[in-house]
Amino acid sequence: MSSSTEISPAEQPHMNPYWAGFGLGLVLLASFVIMGRGLGASGAFTTAVATTVHAIAPAHAEGNAFYAEYLGDGATSPLKDWLVFEVLGVFLGGFLSGALANRLKFTIEKGPRITNPRRLLLAAIGGALMGIGAKLALGCTSGQALTGGALLNLGSWAFMMCVFGGAYGLAWFLRRAWL
Amino acid sequence: MNAPFFKYALFGDEMSLVVAFVIGIGFGFFLERAGFGNARLLAAQFYFRDLRVLKVMFTAIITAMVGAYLLGRLGLLDLSLVYLTPTFLVPQIAGGLILGAGFIIGGYCPGTSCVSAATGRIDGMVYLAGMIGGLLGFAEVYPSIERFTKITAMGQITLARQFHLSYGFLVFAVVLMAFGAFVMAELAEKFIGGKEPGPGALLEPVRTFTPVRRFAVVLTGLGVVALFAGSPYRSALAQVDTKQLALDALRAADQVTADQLADWLVEGRNDYLLVDVRDAQSFAAYHIPGAVNLPLSGLNHDFAQRNERVVFYSDNAIHTAQAWFLIRSLGFPSVYILAGGLETWQEAVLYPRAPAAGAAPKDQIDFAKRMAVAKFFGGSARGATSEVANPVAPVLPKLAPPSPTAPAPDNAQPAKKKKKEGC
Repeated sequence: MSSSTEISPAEQPHMNPYWAGFGLGLVLLASFVIMGRGLGASGAFTTAVATTVHAIAPAHAEGNAFYAEYLGDGATSPLKDWLVFEVLGVFLGGFLSGALANRLKFTIEKGPRITNPRRLLLAAIGGALMGIGAKLALGCTSGQALTGGALLNLGSWAFMMCVFGGAYGLAWFLRRAWL
Repeated sequence: MNAPFFKYALFGDEMSLVVAFVIGIGFGFFLERAGFGNARLLAAQFYFRDLRVLKVMFTAIITAMVGAYLLGRLGLLDLSLVYLTPTFLVPQIAGGLILGAGFIIGGYCPGTSCVSAATGRIDGMVYLAGMIGGLLGFAEVYPSIERFTKITAMGQITLARQFHLSYGFLVFAVVLMAFGAFVMAELAEKFIGGKEPGPGALLEPVRTFTPVRRFAVVLTGLGVVALFAGSPYRSALAQVDTKQLALDALRAADQVTADQLADWLVEGRNDYLLVDVRDAQSFAAYHIPGAVNLPLSGLNHDFAQRNERVVFYSDNAIHTAQAWFLIRSLGFPSVYILAGGLETWQEAVLYPRAPAAGAAPKDQIDFAKRMAVAKFFGGSARGATSEVANPVAPVLPKLAPPSPTAPAPDNAQPAKKKKKEGC
């Protein structure tokens, strides 16, 4: 990695993808060895949603099999959950890395041919689809593709192929957002 | 080494949250390092401009895959204890397609959007808000789509088992495939994206053995090792430490008394598995509440999780001991035998003998306690003199199946209500 020596701290270039992947793989392996489970992301948000709904409408949450699964036995707070703490770490780790590379910036990432409101609308729609897809597939890119991929999990590999398929299939229609 | 450490109870739940946080920091750090906090860079994958999504993901996958394989093969990591998300093929295909659409429309996936939001990207924050909306919507319609989410259930299954291939061969094939894909990706970046392979690329136009190339050769080499080294699961290398087994047997460290077991059942403990190794008929006639029936012929390495405590019983001491030996030799560390088997269970727990009239008060109190436990299991007392009255015929009442009103039904062990382990 080359470092910049300008007066105002400039953004550092990103890490070589192979080394970043190697680092990520070692983190995943550590999770297997220490915990006997892989990484995740969407599950933590599901727990947060279930807990919030439970706090507002307890009867409604308990009557729904989906929420109930994330609420646990009621003996401990559902937020005292492995994935919730892991995702809190993800926020901190991302922030630390961004800070070290001078990449902390309030901005919107987008292609030059799309307006900010449109980009944000697409981000919200994409996020919503992601939430639905992740729950249907029992995991997202972290919990299914990365973790299940490394464990040669049948469903994870089918899932991973479909993620790439779905994204490549729609890429042409969204070229104005990114290129 | 007994890994996964958590599953062998080397630390508790509270500590696991600290571990979660630290692992999360590592995860987030490398996601951001890779440039995954930037939606435009992520989306570039799908226009062949910059294929770092593929490179990072597959490098991570093959690193963890090869590592887990080797640790498993060396007997350091019990791979069967690493949680495998069950396969529901059709819902996962549908979910994958929807998720892929969300990826190209929104620019992130859940993990990367956290990193993006954490570094100040407003689109990442909006994406997260959208995801919460999606989860809420999914949850609300869940009751009407629950049936669809459960179709084509295939259980916890690996590619190796599904396609009858050796695990090692698949490890080798995936490593080879990954590096093939990386070379193709660099060619695509060059010819479609117009980006020449620079420093750190596999195809960097230098003739030296660069670090990235060395990395590729080492991983491929380990893949070749996997090709010939066999299964990484522990059952394939069952080993018997005869001395340890003999010592455990001598110290009776392998036994649970009937009174102990009764206490566990009364307390409703659920940290053990009680296994009846008699045939199904005898099991149906009577069994200790909470027991599962697994005749000797049905015992194999996947009848329980390897870190579970198992208690065997039968009316045949030899069969129980054989089950104990079989399962110990498969590498289960905590296996126990109900001392004296069903016979002692009946004598000591179900039908305790009343003390003779005029016995010491201590014996009377002891008997009252035993009676309470016996009642819990639907038993009753036997007179102190019955033995004398009828020395030949068995004194024990014939064991009947627990009556419907029996106070200790089969579900005396509360069902484990655990939160899901997956994503």
